[in-house]
Amino acid sequence: MISITLAILMCTVAVLSLALLATRGSSVKRELAFRTDVPLYDETTGDPSLCPPEFAARIFSPADWAFVSGERSPEVARLFRHERRVVALVWVHQTKTAIHRIMREHTRVSRQSPDLNLATEAKLLAHYLKLVAICDLLILAIQSAGPSRVGSLATYAASLSQSFADAQHALAITTAARDLRGASTAH
Amino acid sequence: MISLLILSAGIALELILLTRGVQQRLIRRYPAFYSYIGFVLVSDILVYPVHFNKHIYLYFYWFTEFLGLILGCLALLEFYRAALASYPGTARMARALLGILFVAAMIKTVIKTMNVYEWWFYATPVQVEGLLRVCQLLAILLLTVLFLFYSIPFGKNLRGILLGFGLYLSWSVICLAFVAAGVAKAQSLWSYTIPISYVLTLIVWTVHLWSYQPNPVPDRAIPLEQDYLRVAAATQRRLQTARGHLAKAVGS
Repeated sequence: MISITLAILMCTVAVLSLALLATRGSSVKRELAFRTDVPLYDETTGDPSLCPPEFAARIFSPADWAFVSGERSPEVARLFRHERRVVALVWVHQTKTAIHRIMREHTRVSRQSPDLNLATEAKLLAHYLKLVAICDLLILAIQSAGPSRVGSLATYAASLSQSFADAQHALAITTAARDLRGASTAH
Repeated sequence: MISLLILSAGIALELILLTRGVQQRLIRRYPAFYSYIGFVLVSDILVYPVHFNKHIYLYFYWFTEFLGLILGCLALLEFYRAALASYPGTARMARALLGILFVAAMIKTVIKTMNVYEWWFYATPVQVEGLLRVCQLLAILLLTVLFLFYSIPFGKNLRGILLGFGLYLSWSVICLAFVAAGVAKAQSLWSYTIPISYVLTLIVWTVHLWSYQPNPVPDRAIPLEQDYLRVAAATQRRLQTARGHLAKAVGS
């Protein structure tokens, strides 16, 4: 038999998950609200809700900060720091929202796929969790150290999220093609 | 006296649940679940006359306890099949994860029992039941996480079955852990909490299974077609915007 601590921990997690499931409301409503007429993926630019990695590199680049500090105006420097921090935070939140949306779209498609691959799913989930953790870390780092010091991490997050979107899109196309093939052979 | 009161409340609720199941034809949809309730009802009715004879009660206890556990597992299996019937992807994932869980539990048990000579002789009923309940709870937890992750839409009936089982198993695991550790003693206040939690579970089931509620039907539209529709809608919107700009330019 398991220890009391483990039993309490396990049961707390189970009860909380069940409570979440009970209070989740209608998933159908959520799904309908989620559908948009905006294309989810553009073949040339990738996911439209994700900013390109160059944009992230620019926001987090120390070059602008070097230029502003060269002006020797404390007021301008303070204003720049504040504005850049807000832009950086908006970028991280936008990236995080896009990642959540991509993952939700993926689970919506994959739950009905008859030949879902466990290893691919596990890899995508690991990728997703890694990205969410990086985004949370970035939020903390931007608030404590400022955007110019976390440039490399932000660029890494940007390229990782774009590759995540590409991978999900490739998987969705493969699934849809299989579905179409299945539908055509059924008829 | 308290035990008899709890037992009577349980029997009454089980009877209501079964009657509603027959009236609403839920028995046909969830036969394993209603078999489980029917079995518990019969054993609840028989337990009072049987408990006077200690020898018969011993066999009766083990028989009902383990048959109840098996029927409970079958009800869970039925729940999983009914909830994921329209979602082969998630069903595949659930099968794989439940398989991994089962193999891990088997390996852990084998390793643990290999070190104990004649473990079957020393294992207490609380330990054996606790282990099985933990496996059931882990299976429920795993299914719940999958349902949340894949946003599987639920009908009220299935949600009730899962909630009831989850709450009952959670409380049972905590109680059995306390009893196994020697913290909680038999015939103390703790011994009443499992039957009380079962009565609460019956209330949850009765409320959720009062009438038949169909499960939401998933949208079977092919994603690629949806993408085409989205592209077409976006192009149309862009064209309208361009027309608007053109009209402005011509107007000025």
